[in-house]
Amino acid sequence: MALSGIEIFKKLPKKNCGECGVPTCLAFAMKLATGQAELVACPYVSDDVRAAIDEASAPPIRTLTIGAGDRAVKLGGETVMFRHEKRLENPPGLALVLSDTMDDSVVNEKLSKFKYLEFERVGLILRPQMLALKEESGDAGKFAAFVKRVIDQMDAAIILMSDRPEVISEALKVSKDKKPLIYAATNDTAEAMGSLAKESACPLAVKGSGLDEVMAITDKLLGMGLKDLVIDSQPVNVKKALEDQVVIRRSALVKKVKQLGFSTITFPGQLTDNKMKETLIASLLIAKYAGVIVLSEMEGHNVFPLLLASLNIYTDPQRPMAVEEKVYEIGGPREDSPVLITSNFSLTYFIVSGEVESSRIPAWLLIKDTEGLSVLTAWAAGKFAADTVAVFIKKCGIADRVKHRKLVIPGYLAGMSGELEEELPDWQILVGPREAAHLSAYLKQWSA
Amino acid sequence: MALEIPKVSYSGKIREIVLGKGDKAITVGGGTSYPFYLFEGQMPLKPRIAMEVYDSPPDDWAPTALEPFADVAGDPVAWAKKCIDTYGAEMIALQLVSTDPNGENRSAEEAAALTKKVAEAVDVPLIVWGCNNAEKDTEVLKKIAEDCAGRSLMIGPVTEANYKQVGAVAIGYEHTVIASTPIDINLAKQLNILLGNLGVPDGRILIDPTTGALGYGLEYGYSVMERIRMAALTQEDERLQFPMVCNLGKEVWKTKEAKQSRDEAPKLGDPAKRGVLMEAITAQLVLAAGADILIMRHPESIALIQDMLNDLLAA
Amino acid sequence: MSKIICSAAIRGAHNIVDKAEQKYQEALDKWGPDHAVGFPNTAYYLPIIYGILGVPVSKLGDVRPVLEKCRSLLPPLVSEKVWLPYLAPTLEAGMATFFAEEIIEAIRYLEYPDFYTKQEDPIGGNIWLGAADDIILRKRGVEFVDGTAPGFAAILGAPPTKEIAAEIAKELQEKNLYVFMCAENNGVRMSEQLVEAGVQIGWPTRLVSFGSDYTATVFAMGFATRAAMSFGGIKPGDFRGNLLYNKNRIFAFAMPLGPVSDEWYANAAGAINWGFPVIADTPIPEILPTGICTYEHVVSNVPHSEIVQRAVEVRGLKVTVSKIDIPVSYGPAFEGERIRKDDLYLECGGGKTKAVELTVSRDMDEVEDGHVEMIGPDLDQIKDGSKLPFAMLIEVAGRQRQEDFEPILERQIHHLVNYAEGIMHIGQRAIMWLRVGKAAVEKGFRLKHLGTIMHAKYHQEFGAICDKVQVKIYTEEAKVDEVLALARKIYAARDKRVDRMTDETEETFYSCTLCQSFAPSHVCIITPERTGMCGAYNWLDGKASYEINPTGPNQPIVKGECIDPVLGKWKGTDEFIFKASRQKFQTASAYSLVHDPMTACGCFECIATILPLCNGVMIVNRDYLGMTPCGMKFTTLAGMVGGGEVTPGFLGVSKHYIASRKFLLAEGGLKRVVWMPQMLKKELEAKLKSRGEELGIPNLFDIIADDTKGATEEEILPFLEEVGHPALTMESIL
Ligand code: SF4
Ligand code: SF4
Repeated sequence: MALSGIEIFKKLPKKNCGECGVPTCLAFAMKLATGQAELVACPYVSDDVRAAIDEASAPPIRTLTIGAGDRAVKLGGETVMFRHEKRLENPPGLALVLSDTMDDSVVNEKLSKFKYLEFERVGLILRPQMLALKEESGDAGKFAAFVKRVIDQMDAAIILMSDRPEVISEALKVSKDKKPLIYAATNDTAEAMGSLAKESACPLAVKGSGLDEVMAITDKLLGMGLKDLVIDSQPVNVKKALEDQVVIRRSALVKKVKQLGFSTITFPGQLTDNKMKETLIASLLIAKYAGVIVLSEMEGHNVFPLLLASLNIYTDPQRPMAVEEKVYEIGGPREDSPVLITSNFSLTYFIVSGEVESSRIPAWLLIKDTEGLSVLTAWAAGKFAADTVAVFIKKCGIADRVKHRKLVIPGYLAGMSGELEEELPDWQILVGPREAAHLSAYLKQWSA
Repeated sequence: MALEIPKVSYSGKIREIVLGKGDKAITVGGGTSYPFYLFEGQMPLKPRIAMEVYDSPPDDWAPTALEPFADVAGDPVAWAKKCIDTYGAEMIALQLVSTDPNGENRSAEEAAALTKKVAEAVDVPLIVWGCNNAEKDTEVLKKIAEDCAGRSLMIGPVTEANYKQVGAVAIGYEHTVIASTPIDINLAKQLNILLGNLGVPDGRILIDPTTGALGYGLEYGYSVMERIRMAALTQEDERLQFPMVCNLGKEVWKTKEAKQSRDEAPKLGDPAKRGVLMEAITAQLVLAAGADILIMRHPESIALIQDMLNDLLAA
Repeated sequence: MSKIICSAAIRGAHNIVDKAEQKYQEALDKWGPDHAVGFPNTAYYLPIIYGILGVPVSKLGDVRPVLEKCRSLLPPLVSEKVWLPYLAPTLEAGMATFFAEEIIEAIRYLEYPDFYTKQEDPIGGNIWLGAADDIILRKRGVEFVDGTAPGFAAILGAPPTKEIAAEIAKELQEKNLYVFMCAENNGVRMSEQLVEAGVQIGWPTRLVSFGSDYTATVFAMGFATRAAMSFGGIKPGDFRGNLLYNKNRIFAFAMPLGPVSDEWYANAAGAINWGFPVIADTPIPEILPTGICTYEHVVSNVPHSEIVQRAVEVRGLKVTVSKIDIPVSYGPAFEGERIRKDDLYLECGGGKTKAVELTVSRDMDEVEDGHVEMIGPDLDQIKDGSKLPFAMLIEVAGRQRQEDFEPILERQIHHLVNYAEGIMHIGQRAIMWLRVGKAAVEKGFRLKHLGTIMHAKYHQEFGAICDKVQVKIYTEEAKVDEVLALARKIYAARDKRVDRMTDETEETFYSCTLCQSFAPSHVCIITPERTGMCGAYNWLDGKASYEINPTGPNQPIVKGECIDPVLGKWKGTDEFIFKASRQKFQTASAYSLVHDPMTACGCFECIATILPLCNGVMIVNRDYLGMTPCGMKFTTLAGMVGGGEVTPGFLGVSKHYIASRKFLLAEGGLKRVVWMPQMLKKELEAKLKSRGEELGIPNLFDIIADDTKGATEEEILPFLEEVGHPALTMESIL
């Protein structure tokens, strides 16, 4: 059981020196308790205390990072089975398979597409981050050269795939600074692979058929002092894949089975030849706990929906997503187009902008920063009050872009229309519909 | 090293609900574990898919979505038949969008006449979905319930605003209600209690937890569904032990990304596959959260989901 | 039960059963036992017999056992001399009556196939409709379930004139009730009176002319009995279930008009079984105490002008007002509009004139529902730009008189009045302020309409606690003064009552789980001395909200045995928390921040947390944006402790709770508080000072540090030491 903030606080030095980055030990303790800080940030804790806190607050699923730089992928650190219980922490890394037997031109084409697949959403950049480089040539030198070429060409978190330690060893020589994930140690190669991982300080995947075999291998590796492991249980079908993911997560969380306290790596392409179905399996694995998902192809039409799925599932349910405060133009609005205002809760934004868009009436949508709260909650919390709305209207520059002075406010906030008119004497405040679904009809009868 | 799987002990069971009548009647529900967790419980009845049929010709559909139905788009009866005959639909969901007072505002009489025609033409279970305007839906669903007495339709959305009126006709004319609440477990439970108090038999209630599309708030409904299932199965929350319906097709296909052409969104790949995948992934995720009935649009995404269901429920 | 009624009813029942036996014998002789018998187009056979006894009568031969049952139910005739507890046997006689009457009516269908029209309307000269078939039952029954028709009046006989008949029918129609008519009063029947008066009768107008004889009462009762089977899922033969369904859901009553014969008494006794009371216009003995029926059983000698209103009250029927009849638009969209100086027609209160609004509860007979009275000049009698003194006195009455709800109802006046277009309302009680715009006056708005609004809205939104509402509006100075004086007295009494209420005196607390929508395991326990953490729900709100919406987020919690009076733990609350948190939490303290504090949702008004160095507690409110001595701003704190989690050392609290005697009792109460933002301190100044007095630390208010003294523990500690803050010497808070 994780320690509470107060329990951690009791063990801290109580100097309130602020060197950890927050002003007080109590604040630091709270950050630790909620996983937003690491104990190393406080220079004054004794080793004993450190061990005690670490032991008690270590997440049941090992946190590790694959790769270095921009596209490094952080995995693990999960504490719940269901996102509503707290949140799911680290979204899975999506990896594209490349083989050392592929033609250069094919590889180049795939890499340039990989790079191209980058999407902006709610102020975040969504993109695949990983490349799974697979040795199929049987030639260690060739594989190493291939790895080197890819690394030079593309910044990505790398997975080195080969069952042969000598091949991996060769490849690590050119790639270990990039902290690739080594795939994989099997029952037979555990020691050799383990040593390679240890020497290179790279994370290591474990491949066993079934969880019992996996546990035997991780146990061995744990014994060797390795910590950064990733699990592949080689499920034979979709049903088993789901079962394994659930059992691994649950064993780690509920039973503290340390041999299973790791993230997983999955290969939906091994379960089907149908690329569409592969994508569906991947989506299920996003929802059900996979750490890395290796895909046999990456196209806009499969990667984008998977990234959306991952964004949705891994959104912190207690911290609503927010969009940027600004004036959004929908459908090319003109100086006589309607002006609407709402909160910056991302769902509100998506729904409202979607409805405006489908009404085919161009409009100016003003999004006010409400710290991600929805309209009514923001209003109740004073973040959508007439005075602050007025300040925003004045500074956002909408007055220069439209000729009229009519502002449509959300129907639920009719109560503030009068106050707002007083704050904005030039503007006429119109009360819009309560539900976004009725916006289209409302806009159709709107006139400047 | 032998692992002992830590199993959840489930104390509840999802109610089995019979949909429709006669040979083609379908039973859903019956689950005794989280969805597809067959290593620790049962899911004796597979989730079912209803194919959408619209009451008026669609005007702004993505070409991919329209293509399979282009020849029947103006004729709901032919459309429904095509779904069954060509695509093997096991259920039909008639979407009464044209009754929307903010749109075409077709009358309850027209809607009822149409529903009756469709109901007579098909033998599979029929879902009838209003326009989400509580007042108009009341009028429309009442009329439909009356005119299609004894046909065991699934009618919805039944909300807190109209549950009395629609619930009453559902009791009187023997239909099943789809109890719809806005992404909130407590409201869902409350509405089920109210329907029970009104006299709607437990065998005729389905939950619509409200479903958002992938990328458009899917996660809210997803978590509420997980919470509903958890409450139903492990916390003996008897008023939440009903099957769930997700009306997802129309949500997905109205999003920008499901409709954009290759020119409009070059990064998003093949528009046809993208739309299908967006619908299928939304479906897959709500299935994982506990959906028992999916309302979907595209034959290909439906086929994909059927394939996944077969895999997930394989013996 | 009155001996006269019992004797008469039992006599009547004997007569009716005798008659049924005779009819049966004749029919048997004529058609034989295999001849089909029943009401047309129904799957419920003879519905009362089927519903209550579970016996499907489909041929004449089936009647015999039913008649035998009637005989066995019939008590002996009451002799003049003995005194018996008459209720049970009389009710059984009533049952026997209905069985017998169904048999009589069924045989009538055999003898005279065209006696009844067997459809929804009269045909030609035949106005008798007879039993409702299943199609009518379904169509009309739906209205009983969804509340569009709350119930029916079963009228026997007729009033003295056709005009009165039409009047009574109209009044009943206005209450959306069905009127089921049968039997004669001296050769006169109400159905015929209505036809003569030119009133259209038949199912579509809800004026149902069932039959000419009193035996047609069974069509009304049979309708109710079938409704329970087809809409309530009640099985045939489940007589308890059937009678209860009717008592609880069908708002019906019997209304004998004219002298009550023995047979009528027998029918009345039958109806009481279904929970339908009897309201008569003749001076028959009353049966007032309640028992089977929700309220009274028999109420008599009611004048025709009051009979409908009285019936509605006795049956406990709720008034529904669907339309607010005022000349301006009404809806939430107008809530926030302002009336500017230039648009102003009338202004009241707001410091410019005396003004007050008051909602008080009265006894049922003191309030005339819908009565709205204007005393003093209205808008059409004054000049544009006037000011007037103003008082609105709203008197409400409910079957359960609930003075506790007065303040809650009164608080609604603000937004309910504001919903009217062109009207602005600010404040409450004696500091209210009302502005009426010119446009509203031009459209015909008058002050009197405020009464119309309040009457309608109280019924619509608070129907569960208000049965009657009347409103008086005063604009005469002297009258306003009178209301003001009354209001002051009532306000004082109310405040005192709330003040006297403690967690010890109340056995029931309330929960609030409204915040579970985003904080899945959050549960607020609301006690008289601890409001919900958002500050929006106090104990009375919880109670009222539960009465109005019994399946909603506020549920009563019987607190049960006290586990720990200092932490604030009870058996009942712990059990509730376990269930309502969906088994996540087993227990919570109402009065502690360190030991099992309550979950925090996220919309708390303030957060309290410990300051270890000062050995005290600090409180920060949502509006304070600065840094606090714990090293975290409000927003940071809120981010860490919300989401329905328990975070020992941190607690969401409402402002109101800070000044409660139960505030952090386990940590030593208000004495522990060492820091608050100045703005919060100021807001609570009066209350904090008086609490300080109570605690014997009169300067407590002054020795609580605030942001002017510092925003870190190190900064405020010297101040606390200087003033000798009690927290420094209390036992360690950790
Ligand atoms: S650095 Fe350590 S001692 Fe200093 S405030 Fe942070 S936790 Fe306290
Ligand atoms: S904070 Fe307020 S609204 Fe939320 S649960 Fe508590 S009392 Fe209810």
